[in-house]
Amino acid sequence: MTSFLIRCYPARWRARYGDEFEAILEERPLGPFDVADILLGALDAQLRLRGHGVATQHARRFTMSLRIGGIAAIVGASLIVIGFALIGGRTEGSETAAGIALLVALAALLVALTGLSAFQAHSNPWLVWTAFAVTALGTVLALFAGVSDLAGVGPTDWRDGPLAIGVVSVAIGSAAFGIATYRGSVLSRKGALSLVIGPAIGIIGATAVTQNLWELGMLLVLVGIGSFLAGWFTLGVAAIRLDRTSALKPA
Amino acid sequence: MNRKIPEFGRFAEPSLLILVSLSNGPKHGYAIMQDVEQGTGRPMGAGTLYAALTRLEEQGLIEPLPPVDRRRPYRLTAVGASNLAEQLRGLSEFAQMGLRQLGRTSP
Repeated sequence: MTSFLIRCYPARWRARYGDEFEAILEERPLGPFDVADILLGALDAQLRLRGHGVATQHARRFTMSLRIGGIAAIVGASLIVIGFALIGGRTEGSETAAGIALLVALAALLVALTGLSAFQAHSNPWLVWTAFAVTALGTVLALFAGVSDLAGVGPTDWRDGPLAIGVVSVAIGSAAFGIATYRGSVLSRKGALSLVIGPAIGIIGATAVTQNLWELGMLLVLVGIGSFLAGWFTLGVAAIRLDRTSALKPA
Repeated sequence: MNRKIPEFGRFAEPSLLILVSLSNGPKHGYAIMQDVEQGTGRPMGAGTLYAALTRLEEQGLIEPLPPVDRRRPYRLTAVGASNLAEQLRGLSEFAQMGLRQLGRTSP
């Protein structure tokens, strides 16, 4: 009976699923419901077994964007930490190294944003792509400012140049991306919240600094940067973990 | 980019049940059938299971792992996890709307 039922399926289907399907049918005795269900399944397979694999290719592209986005988020967040550590080190050449680290970090975060936006753009596409556009603009401006500064042609006060606009754009765009990610509920919601809260605290801190509340302002800026980096790092880890669900053992 | 939940026709419900079953780790076909029966109280036939599995695999929402004996486990892909979250969110919103309406009309 079992072999008759399996032979009702097309040969191509049997070549792919035949063994495992037979193993399932041997698990328990077949009742009338099972036989009817299998015959309907065979009819369905006969009717529709065409155009195999097109969508799989499509899905692979999404998985790749998730993987690249996740790795870039971790690299970007880590490089910013390294950049700040180099600035704090105050050794010879450390400022240039810090500048390069921060520029590469910004580029990595842009890659992360592109990859993760492509992955979750199906939910809240307007918000995701707005966040992407704002952050991309900010990153490009910040990169331009950073390269100008390294070349020694930037403004003497960074607040006069594109860096300020760039940093604020990156902060606002990242926060919007955090909201879209939080609403998407696929990647880490804690990471998304950090990405929303961090820029908000940072902007409040920067405003306090301009109002001569130096100590409080700097503290808030540091907390904001920490939250921002933790957000990107957590989202990166979440993306890679989502990509590697194979860590779980089969039942 | 606009990526919609794939249309599975009459296999939409079995597909959702399979995705939920795989959400806590890879399982082979018989384990999925047992899981679904335990969760819903209704059996899922092998024909229905494999019709849905075939579609899910074609759409890249699940992927096969190397077989253990003749049993082949399947796991949820990242795209599958994203799709499942979206479907469950939609169902949750629909259920909430229904409960709100019921609250307004019930005596």
